[in-house]
Amino acid sequence: MAPSSGWTWLVKVLFMASLRNWRVRQALLAYALLMPAIIYFGLYFFYPIVVEFFASFFRGQPLIGDAQFAGLSNYVEAFTDARVRDAFIRTIIFGVSATILTLIPALGLAAILAGPIKGRNAIRAMIFFPYIISFVIVALMWKNILDPYSGILNNILISFNLPTQNWLSNPATALPAMIGIVVWKDIGYAMLIYIAAIQGIPENLYEAAELDGASRHQMFLEITVPLLVPTTLFLAVITTIGHLQDVSAPILLTGGGPADATRLFSLHVYETAFTELNIGYASALSFLMLLAILLITFLQFRLLNKQVRY
Amino acid sequence: MARRRNQTPIGLKAGMYLVLGLCVILALFPFFYMLSLSLQSDADMYSGVPVLFPSVLQFSNYLTIWEKAPFARFILNSFILAGGITALHLIFDPLIGYVFAKMEFPGKRPLFVMLLSTLMLPFFIRMIPLYILTAKMGWLNTYQGLIMPFAMSAYGIFLMRQFILPIPNELIDAARIDGASDLKIYTAIVLPQLRPAFATLGLLTFVFQFNEFLWPLIVVSTTEMRPITTGLTLFNSEFFTQWNLTATGGVILFLPSLLLFIFMQRYFVRSVMTTGMK
Repeated sequence: MAPSSGWTWLVKVLFMASLRNWRVRQALLAYALLMPAIIYFGLYFFYPIVVEFFASFFRGQPLIGDAQFAGLSNYVEAFTDARVRDAFIRTIIFGVSATILTLIPALGLAAILAGPIKGRNAIRAMIFFPYIISFVIVALMWKNILDPYSGILNNILISFNLPTQNWLSNPATALPAMIGIVVWKDIGYAMLIYIAAIQGIPENLYEAAELDGASRHQMFLEITVPLLVPTTLFLAVITTIGHLQDVSAPILLTGGGPADATRLFSLHVYETAFTELNIGYASALSFLMLLAILLITFLQFRLLNKQVRY
Repeated sequence: MARRRNQTPIGLKAGMYLVLGLCVILALFPFFYMLSLSLQSDADMYSGVPVLFPSVLQFSNYLTIWEKAPFARFILNSFILAGGITALHLIFDPLIGYVFAKMEFPGKRPLFVMLLSTLMLPFFIRMIPLYILTAKMGWLNTYQGLIMPFAMSAYGIFLMRQFILPIPNELIDAARIDGASDLKIYTAIVLPQLRPAFATLGLLTFVFQFNEFLWPLIVVSTTEMRPITTGLTLFNSEFFTQWNLTATGGVILFLPSLLLFIFMQRYFVRSVMTTGMK
């Protein structure tokens, strides 16, 4: 008995040792492989937030040029500066209306294109196509189409005897035109996400409703739409956050004009930093935007959790 | 909504096709118009009314732009940028994804949560400190300054991890018992499973980086370092103001996206539908 139990003991010890040894080696290997990622994400994602927070307490160009410590004055100024407040309100209007105008038609298109439509894959792809195109091209095309004199849209309006507009150079129409353009670009993306969600709804829900004599219309409003609420929230947050940060649209379409009509918050931050070279103040504005985005994301999680329980 | 037994009324069906037809025209018309502009002569351009179908196809626009701006250099820069970033993604994203999918080590969960939290730190928020950082490194107006801030992505790592998770652990353990090294397991078992993920990630990364506008606008200070995106914005001001030539540049910037999209359309559509990737 004794030698046999001694052997088992030895085997056990050796096995455990080799296992622990293997585990240690696995962990070391894992960290060695992760090293580039740890350095990369640390340097380009987490450290910048620290730098931004630090820079937001200075005027001028902290860390790279002339700067004076300014305490909280950048934050105080951010909350009292009328131009910042206007830009913020404008951005909310831009983001919310662009999101609503994207999601509603996208849902309609998805409802059609999730069904038995001939050539639906090709149609989906073509409607999605503008989404992958650089905004540089988008701006180029639409500035030409909306040109007050040689643009094709005004010439169409003339041929129908309708009044023409200086689309991007009239303060009243510049922001709506910009909203129209970003909606045109984003609709296909929202549509694809909706199609995927609709296809994920179990077929037997519709069969049961059909047995109960529900019409197609009722089924859409009472089964499809409620089940798409989480998808809608996801899209609404992704799209809104995307629009909050959109600098390309105002830079490339209007430069923020006319008379600040399309000066979005993001453009204001960009110009404060890189045109006026007040990097400290721009950092404070940017940091406030990060807080806004975190707040929106947090609210989304709260809403989504509620939805899931329901 | 598919496979409904009751048939769609013919009127509704016709209405649906009409709506879809209008949407497709609306989505594609600007591209057609840009192509048309790029082939127009100055006479057509300045005739006072917009011309949809040019009276003569002036292909020479496609030669003229190379003389008027360092266009070849812009294109080269775009390929170096987008190609470099895509290569880095395809090297690192699957490797990091593998570590999180199949290796055990202390601190795995918190590190993964931290990785995913970077999704909430969008580029615009980091734009100013990234500029400070790049300036401090002396990398302004260099390729590495343009490439390094986009070397990896949490999306890409997450996507790769999702593709690696279903590979059975037994397969990996069996290979290990047979004496295969970790490197061998990675190259012989894991990587071959990732072909569709490589196509998706490579494609999306390349196209989005090829289209990137804001970071080059901030980092680049000389004309010859510009990629096509910011190069093209010079067109309307510095080099020439003719719309037809600007449109010609636009078509050239647009071609890589178009070709990739046509050949790999199903990967595109599928990847958006399954990952919601932006």
